[in-house]
Amino acid sequence: MRRVSIAFAAVALLAALALPRAARAQGATELRVSAIPDESPTELQRKFAPLGAYLEKAVGMPVRFTPVTDYAATVEGLAAGRLDLVWYGGFTFVQARRRTGNAIPLVQREEDAHFHSKIIVPAGSKAKTLADLKGATFAFGSVSSTSGHLMPRYHLLQNGIEPERDFAKVAFSGAHDVTAKWVEAGKVEAGALNESIWQKLLDEKKVDPTKVRVLWTTPDFHDYNWTVRGDLDPKLVEKLRAAFLALDAKNPEHAEILKLQRATRFIATAPENYRAIEQAARSAGLIQD
Amino acid sequence: MTPLPPRPPLPAALRWPGLLVAAALAISWRVAEGDLGALFSRDGRRALGDFAAGFWPPAHSPEFLGFLVRPLADTVAIAFLGLSLALVLALPLSVLATSPWRVGGVGRAPSRARRAAWAGARALLTLMRSIPELVWALVFVRALGLGPAAGVLAIGVGYAGIVGKVFAEIFEGAPRAPADHLMAAGAPPRRAFAFAVLPQSAPLLVSYALYRFDCALRASAVLGLVGAGGVGAQLELSLRMLAHDEVATMVLALFALVAGVDALSRRVRRRVNALRGLLPVGPGALRPRLALLLLWLAAVACAAAWLDLPLGELLSPAALASAGAFFASTFPPALDAAFLRTVLPAAGVTLAVSVVGTALAAAAGLLLAWVAALPHHAAAAGEQLRPAPRAALAVAGAAARAVMNLGRTLPELLWALLLVFAVGLGPFAGALALALHTAGVLGRLHVEALEETPAEAFGALRAAGASAAGASLFAVLPQALPQLIAYTLYRWEVNIRASAVLGLVGAGGLGGLLHVSLNLFHHHRTLTLLGVILVLVVAVDLFSGALRRRVLEGARDAAAPAGPPLRAVVDAG
Repeated sequence: MRRVSIAFAAVALLAALALPRAARAQGATELRVSAIPDESPTELQRKFAPLGAYLEKAVGMPVRFTPVTDYAATVEGLAAGRLDLVWYGGFTFVQARRRTGNAIPLVQREEDAHFHSKIIVPAGSKAKTLADLKGATFAFGSVSSTSGHLMPRYHLLQNGIEPERDFAKVAFSGAHDVTAKWVEAGKVEAGALNESIWQKLLDEKKVDPTKVRVLWTTPDFHDYNWTVRGDLDPKLVEKLRAAFLALDAKNPEHAEILKLQRATRFIATAPENYRAIEQAARSAGLIQD
Repeated sequence: MTPLPPRPPLPAALRWPGLLVAAALAISWRVAEGDLGALFSRDGRRALGDFAAGFWPPAHSPEFLGFLVRPLADTVAIAFLGLSLALVLALPLSVLATSPWRVGGVGRAPSRARRAAWAGARALLTLMRSIPELVWALVFVRALGLGPAAGVLAIGVGYAGIVGKVFAEIFEGAPRAPADHLMAAGAPPRRAFAFAVLPQSAPLLVSYALYRFDCALRASAVLGLVGAGGVGAQLELSLRMLAHDEVATMVLALFALVAGVDALSRRVRRRVNALRGLLPVGPGALRPRLALLLLWLAAVACAAAWLDLPLGELLSPAALASAGAFFASTFPPALDAAFLRTVLPAAGVTLAVSVVGTALAAAAGLLLAWVAALPHHAAAAGEQLRPAPRAALAVAGAAARAVMNLGRTLPELLWALLLVFAVGLGPFAGALALALHTAGVLGRLHVEALEETPAEAFGALRAAGASAAGASLFAVLPQALPQLIAYTLYRWEVNIRASAVLGLVGAGGLGGLLHVSLNLFHHHRTLTLLGVILVLVVAVDLFSGALRRRVLEGARDAAAPAGPPLRAVVDAG
């Protein structure tokens, strides 16, 4: 009998522990934000914190950032109405737009209108041109990345290199900073990454310039933007757009936000800006109809 | 003219089955890009050394340790909920999948509806268990969004397939006399099943379910790799960032967790096995069982609350519609020639990796088991060793057991992640990962099989002056061999499933293509790949099952003792 009462006591205790969390799950309305994981999730969260606080004030509702580990999940999340505002790359925006039909690109950084990718090699590499990379092992970032996969692939193809045919091995590192680490450590013989993150890694001395060098830089293209769900309240959409556009580097508080976003300022953007990305994706075989 | 004496038979390795196996292994080695240089050349050794050196000391800052608690607890909660779901799904399916000819129905042909239900349930169980749970997780992450819900469902569906099949086998294996008597007395089949088959099978069912929890925990630890919650995501992140000290901490934590749960469940299983039946005989027997059931339900509720599973949202019409739309959008499968030209070689790599991994594991497992069983055999043969050699034997045995435990405790995919960094991207890393994990599993089984082998022959050979190694080789191994081969073949069936997902971490094969197609929303291709994985797994199951039966039948002809039920023994992983 005693053992039975102990079991019942344990049930009661477990149930008591479970209740508060269950009650908390019914949250108030909030703005649900995420970003493609082109850098490590912890870094993304650090970058977002002050911007999130700023947006919370500007739109007058709680803002919750959910870090994810998967690019495609942000596209599905927006399409399924589980996310309201997402930081997309050019290609993931195209995917989201094709998936939803009405996702609205809100703003982009001034830099994103003229973006580039870098192809990097270990400092000791004998390669001088793209053609010299034939037979090498090569790392892209994420499969879904614009500057880490789509545009480097597109331009490699334009230069007569078909990755699966001409490289000894093609790997997806998952993120730009990882690609840099892999090339630095000699895990792969060449890799493609986003120039903004490359610059940041150099600035923060996270990559050793005596060990890695840039072999080639792509022509410019439109990249990242902040996108909202097409069926979000239009008033909220306008408030968000205005809040981004109002960020001013002369205001010290804003300057901190912009610095973390690696932006000089935000500018309005439109779906037309990403037509070229869609074309490139089609011709590189990443979009099929 | 005197007739020539009959030619002695060729050794087994030179007869056609041996030659076929050798050819298959050689081809697989090529396709899996087997490369001993990656391990033993000077560069290879240095790369491995550097890699291993980065693990020491493990990260132990209080923040990091504190940060690990949540994902580790998530991993346990996902495994527990997943297994609970699997049991709920498996129980009714297994009842339907129990052969109507085997249980109940003496002299009565089962109705057409019953036969259709039987075939349908069996087909469904096959589908559920043939798709690896990590692939289920990938699919559910797409259909339901990121998070632990996808992980719970993946384990639930994948494990329901295997648990349902084993439950059906347990029902079929229950003594039939009681059910026959009940039916002869006029009881309908359903009632005969409930009162005569179920009570006898219950302890075995519970014991197997508990034992599956260890496996679910290992599976849950890697689901994070595809965004389905738990510690896997952090692990992959740290590895990719080459933060090996953090990886070391997480690997140690996982090892402790799995080993702890393993020990716990083994103790509970032993107690359950001692019970006569789980159905109540009187009111006194009812209460503790009811309390256990309530405890289980409460634990389920707590795990769901801890994971913050948005059940309402998951079951909302909108969510169901979006999941339905995902599955609908995969039809029809992509069958264009260009795509198939990339799929078929990848399927070949997946198959080759499973073969090479299993073969390496069989060899390594045997070696480890032989070392581990040395002290036992020496003692069983009544050898009087001086203290120094005896201590040496004991140390070697313990070291072999430690290697096996480490290999077995961590899931294949985790090994693959580590090895991709140590020996380079590609299928060989995957084959080594399978080999490492499987060697641990097989090694432990081999030790048991070797230790159960009667020691008289060993003692006789030793007494006649044979070395310890020679005596083991000729006296112990041949007796245990059919059982060992059957174990190995069964692990091959497990490994083909594992091999199909290794590509997710860059270790070659179908998993890599699946990762790309899912990320690029090429849903038709995803369906094709799922179909190819299904066909490959089912084909290997059928082929290996037929081989196993032949090997064990041969053994029975030679009057070898029948081993314990195979699946229940070999699943340990």
